[in-house]
Amino acid sequence: MADRRSANRSMFWRVLRRSVFANRGRLIVILLALGAGAAITAALLNLQVDAKRRITTEFRSFGANVFVQPVTNSNQEGALLNQFAAALILNGPNPEPVGGSAMLYGIAAVRRKAAGSIAADTVETPVVVAGHGDGDLLESGTFKTIEKGPESRFSKDPWMRMAGCIVGSAVAIQRNFHVLDVMELRNGEREVDCAVQEIRSFGTVEDNQVGMTLRTAQTLLALPGTVSLIRLRISGSPKQIDHTIRFLQLKLNDNQRSLREFSARDKTFWARYGNVSPEAMDKIEARLSDAEVRPVRQFTEGEARLYNRISGILSATVAVVLILTALCVMAAMTNVAMERKNDVGLMKAIGGSVRRVLRLFLAEAALLGLAGGLIGAAIGIVISIGLGKAVFGVAAQPRLIVYPISVALTVIVAILAAYPLRRLVHIRPASVFRGEE
Amino acid sequence: MFLRLIADNFTRRPRRKFLTAAALSLGMAVATAALSVSLDVGDRLSEEFKSLGANLVVTPEADSLPLEIGGVDFRPANFGAYLPESDLPKIKSVFWHNNITAFAPILDLRVQAHRYELPVGTPVGPETNVTLIGTWASHAVHNSDASSFVTGIKNANPWWHVDGEWFDENKRECLIGTDFAKSQKLKTNDTLYIYAVSKTVPVMVELRIAGILDTGGQENNAIVAPLMVAQWLADEPGQYRKLYVSALSKPEDDFARRDPRTMKPDELERWSCSPYVSSIAYSIKQVLSGSDVRVIRRVAEGEGKILTRVRTLLWLVTFATLLAAALAVGASAAASVIERRTEIGLMKALGAGSGTVGWLLAAEQLLLAFVGGGAGYALGLLLARFVGTKIFGVPPEPSLLVLGVILVLAAAVTLLGSALPLRRAARFDPAPILRGE
Repeated sequence: MADRRSANRSMFWRVLRRSVFANRGRLIVILLALGAGAAITAALLNLQVDAKRRITTEFRSFGANVFVQPVTNSNQEGALLNQFAAALILNGPNPEPVGGSAMLYGIAAVRRKAAGSIAADTVETPVVVAGHGDGDLLESGTFKTIEKGPESRFSKDPWMRMAGCIVGSAVAIQRNFHVLDVMELRNGEREVDCAVQEIRSFGTVEDNQVGMTLRTAQTLLALPGTVSLIRLRISGSPKQIDHTIRFLQLKLNDNQRSLREFSARDKTFWARYGNVSPEAMDKIEARLSDAEVRPVRQFTEGEARLYNRISGILSATVAVVLILTALCVMAAMTNVAMERKNDVGLMKAIGGSVRRVLRLFLAEAALLGLAGGLIGAAIGIVISIGLGKAVFGVAAQPRLIVYPISVALTVIVAILAAYPLRRLVHIRPASVFRGEE
Repeated sequence: MFLRLIADNFTRRPRRKFLTAAALSLGMAVATAALSVSLDVGDRLSEEFKSLGANLVVTPEADSLPLEIGGVDFRPANFGAYLPESDLPKIKSVFWHNNITAFAPILDLRVQAHRYELPVGTPVGPETNVTLIGTWASHAVHNSDASSFVTGIKNANPWWHVDGEWFDENKRECLIGTDFAKSQKLKTNDTLYIYAVSKTVPVMVELRIAGILDTGGQENNAIVAPLMVAQWLADEPGQYRKLYVSALSKPEDDFARRDPRTMKPDELERWSCSPYVSSIAYSIKQVLSGSDVRVIRRVAEGEGKILTRVRTLLWLVTFATLLAAALAVGASAAASVIERRTEIGLMKALGAGSGTVGWLLAAEQLLLAFVGGGAGYALGLLLARFVGTKIFGVPPEPSLLVLGVILVLAAAVTLLGSALPLRRAARFDPAPILRGE
């Protein structure tokens, strides 16, 4: 009994091997159809996951989408934030990547200084100065450079870089400033000189500002250790952004007390650093307010809409393509399977039971599906890496889960495609041999 | 004889032909759906980008520098220049008027506001300094050709949410920001008493609060009222300070970034005939005298970048889909030739040359390609309609170009798919095939 079973089994595999390799042309055709299906499944699944993520990082070019600002209903004139709030938010572990910079705004009078043949301005113009904290300036794509000084001169000389200013286009036009002009910025008794490093057009309020480093602005405005606003860019899906906003708010709330005051050590440090008297430092401390994290609705809502649309297009395209590819492969496979009528007839004629014949064909289909799937899915993942590189400049990360999914799908499609053979087992062998349909 | 053979083939083995045609039409349906969606996606998405708000801002050319921090302009009252409201209908007369989807003029000023209790008739509560923004909610602009266009801040800034109702432009009504409402404990239907010292005369007005506004921006701390109210308070009838314009535009390339003043006449013509955001800005500047039109870079450039990315992504997906569909269809075509080896052998035994046999099969495959391709196109269009409606609410335009591409592709793929097995079949000796070896 056991002998018969093992003999049966070895016969089963022999027949299977023979029927797979008997016709090489057919084998290639089948593998081509199944492999193409598997490749496109793997490539699209991999790309879809990756592309959604990439699109959210592309939203960076819209600039900040979240602001951290003093609590608005505090009714406190000139409320400020402790500069450490920025460090707390930007450096800590956050659920999603958070980039951005702390900003300090104030008003100063600007005047051109005499340099060589250029005469000094006789009048001063009030202008908004904006101090930009260290870190990601989030500005690429939010402006157009109108004029730019030679890179080397500023970037190599630390002093020049420190006092280099980025001038908004409206300020430049109004005062006829050009690159390399030296401006004097005055706030009461305090004066800072800076060279025009770049002129930028934003189309927003930044056009009316003179941008400088946060330290320069703090010194000029006599507000050391403080910022007026923290501009953030949080990437991720709308849900992830929402979650991150809540997380940051909790983090700020936990540190509320330490952010409301300066420690004694900090106070001495800031006073010396900003050239401010200890009494003035107390006054600044009194202006420190609780922080509030707010989405910039113009961008968070617009981005959410865009994200949903884009991921909708991608998912829909991928779904439609996958379903139709499966059907298409199935039709092609069925076409191949139908020509096996003679084989079925022969097998039945020499005493093969319906179940065994069917099992043989299904095993063959599954085997071919597995082979086609393994080859095709590997090719597909390579393709998706290339596609990712072509679109986003960064190779799409291969996700391992995609591989077994696409192979499994291919095997299922192959087995389903062999299913119409079920009808063939009802035919009479004799009529097949006679050549009747 | 040739035609009879073909016709015979189709009528005698309908099921087999049907399967090949099904594979073909499914493959071509995938291709059609993917092509239609990616052809259409640019237009649809650029409409979605309107939810990010205006991409152009118009300010008076001779304006003094705004000293704006946190949405509050610190310039002395009535400082700065204005533009005439009566020029606004001209915007819809520029070459790109169809691309301009919305615009809204803004006139903002600092006012003092109190809550006003009607039965008593006296202002109660402390007076508060607040920014009042005058604008259009939805305003009918009458063109010279008697047609009218309804626009306003509602269309230009779609992320503005109003709890309650928008103000009626002809009534003394206003919206107040949520933060202002919270800090002043105001609610809908309260009456605000507004007081402004414009020029020399103090002006006052009572406004009913029609709704509470939430923009997630600086307007949350302001009052938004009809433009006419703001003009009256500022004593600047028929004037505005700033105009936001939303325009559908084409992503900028290197050519678009050039300065129109340095272009040759033919280049200038090409530039102004492409809906680049900068050329739309240029045409608006020409109709609004004394204005300066700037591009809001963070919106315009982000838009262009993302649009280009998504479009490339979809094209690549489409290309991959076409490739996979072609492979699957080719496999199906190959299978249909392989199975006909006996027939080919018989034809050759009866004296047909390889050329005649090839022609016969090619003609058959071509016929199949046109039928399958046509059916696939129809099916694909239905799918594209479904996907388009699901995502954008608008079905994509059926394009004849797609039909052409699909038919050519179907023909090429089936011919290529059958060419390989045909060449092998041509080399066969008819005798062993007919013997069934």
